[in-house]
Amino acid sequence: MPETPTPTPTGDPAPHRVYDRIAAHFSETRAHPWPDVADFVAERTGRRGLDLGCGNGRHAELLADVCETAVGVDASAGLLAEARARAAEREYADALALLRGDAERIPLRDDTVNLAVYVATLHHLPSREARVRSLTDLARVLAPGGEALVSVWSTTHDRFGPDTGFDTTVEWTLPDGTTENRYYHIYDPAEFRADLDDSALDVVEAYESRGNAYAVVTS
Amino acid sequence: MKRDLMDIICCPLDKHDLDLDVESEEDDEVVAGTLTCTDCGETYPIEDGIPNLLPPDMREETPA
Repeated sequence: MPETPTPTPTGDPAPHRVYDRIAAHFSETRAHPWPDVADFVAERTGRRGLDLGCGNGRHAELLADVCETAVGVDASAGLLAEARARAAEREYADALALLRGDAERIPLRDDTVNLAVYVATLHHLPSREARVRSLTDLARVLAPGGEALVSVWSTTHDRFGPDTGFDTTVEWTLPDGTTENRYYHIYDPAEFRADLDDSALDVVEAYESRGNAYAVVTS
Repeated sequence: MKRDLMDIICCPLDKHDLDLDVESEEDDEVVAGTLTCTDCGETYPIEDGIPNLLPPDMREETPA
């Protein structure tokens, strides 16, 4: 039998349920926005912002600053509760609406979003087809002229060797020592670009930063 | 949720508009209620003020 070095995904096949179980601890470790996301948002404005896969809302807060209103969408009720508490503490709750939804089937009407971030979430969707469908649904909700920043974990991250993209699970260790496995598709940058090109999005700019692949896109 | 969210949300399955049925409201926020797709009739709960627009196949309560 040939060796098969590719890790096989194990654990809960639904990342949002894992995030429900780790929400509070995960949120504690996600206090600050990523600099690359902050840079993208700081240069832009728009009527309505969308943070798709908002987690605890640390990037939705940036959108609430530069847009009239921001919408945070996440599949995990636990993370949405963290997002609501964070918005109340930091006093941007009036500018933020939260929705529980799936990134592959976004519950927003066409052309409703002027500025979006889709950070570190696409890589949790369980197949290439699902990921391309999600990108195409993002194109649908983006209004003409609207821009989005999409990021995924990349093979250029220093915890992975340079390689082609692969499926894996990444363990989260809770304070009591128990662990939860989260499914990831780790992208090589060319593969990320191919998925974007196969979706209805147009790529304005693509780059690597801090182990993540980023793309600025429009509909 | 605020009522003006109705202007932008839709059914995740077929993207049609939703009807809002309010069960309880505090200040300007709908705390509990139901959203019903005007086309396919699928219903979505508003839970603790947050619309749960996950497709039915992703809901926890979906029978195995």
